[in-house]
Amino acid sequence: MIDALANTFTLSGLFWVSVTLLCYFVSLKVNVYFSGHPALHPLVVTAALVALLLLLTQVNVPRYQQSVSFLHWLLGPVTVALAIPIFKQWQSLKKYGWRLVISIAIGGIIAPLTAWITLYILNTPIALQLTMLAKSITTPLAMEASAQIGGIAPLAAVFVIVTGIVGAVLSNTMFTLFNVISPVAQGIALGTVAHAVGTAKAIHMGEDVAAMATLGLCINGIFTAFVLPLIFSIMM
Amino acid sequence: MQVKSRMIGGVMILLSYYCGMFLSHQLSLPIPGPLLGLVILLAVLFFVPNLEKSTTLVALPFLKHMSVLFVPAVLGVSLYWNDIASNSVALFVAIVGTTALCLGLTGWFAGKLMGEGNVIRSDSKNRR
Repeated sequence: MIDALANTFTLSGLFWVSVTLLCYFVSLKVNVYFSGHPALHPLVVTAALVALLLLLTQVNVPRYQQSVSFLHWLLGPVTVALAIPIFKQWQSLKKYGWRLVISIAIGGIIAPLTAWITLYILNTPIALQLTMLAKSITTPLAMEASAQIGGIAPLAAVFVIVTGIVGAVLSNTMFTLFNVISPVAQGIALGTVAHAVGTAKAIHMGEDVAAMATLGLCINGIFTAFVLPLIFSIMM
Repeated sequence: MQVKSRMIGGVMILLSYYCGMFLSHQLSLPIPGPLLGLVILLAVLFFVPNLEKSTTLVALPFLKHMSVLFVPAVLGVSLYWNDIASNSVALFVAIVGTTALCLGLTGWFAGKLMGEGNVIRSDSKNRR
């Protein structure tokens, strides 16, 4: 934390943190303007804007990362703070019981497994295969879990965001195709397979869809982040 | 009053974070430190539910705007650009194809397991 703060309170640190926050502010406005379209997720827009500025000012990425290391450091405590939404969802989890847990477990297992099998069959490098295993859980947990099992944390962040966007954009088509009509089932699928971006989409689809999506997001996230490193530490 | 509550919440979160980091490192556990911190904070909240308010007060703005914290990490993918480009087809199939498929399958299973009742109930409501 001290290192991260020291980096931030330099001229370039303050400059790039302000620039990043400003770009984020712009991206929020853009997102609202396009009524929250998933493809214009604030992270996508902010990253694109910052990348453009880095290109224009000829600053390389490692130097930028050092300047804004405080932002990156904050991810740790924010991951810890995810305990709060999980705590709040606990009551509804008890209400729905094992049927809900099994439903989420099915999504939580088939989503990474099918993605991994695809990469395995298509013969991609092992680091990419391992990174893909964390694609369906929320970004901070995915980065931690993939780093732990030998994946690439920054790539995990990108896989996760793209997964969320794809899920949110294609959800209506897939629900029609598979005849998923109940709001509860739609919410579980969105939260479990497409994490926070899917949950944001679920909020537009109604209150019960959103509540279920939040549950799927929380339970699958914590479950996957625990189980993946455990499996790998036993196998290695 | 609010300031004090905020401080308590902030200290609780940081304390859980550092405890998680310390334990994970010292005992060389396979579980990442921040995740362990999450479990510690969750346990604290179960034992002292009153802390929910003050932790929420501090954490909510950060949780809401978490996206901006990923920017430095996401820009780091430029270092892996070659890996992505040379495996682009496989990655596309793995992300787009399986995500869409699993979304449908999970929804279908969930509907079979617990959703049917809800649909019938909303139907009968409509008939009335």
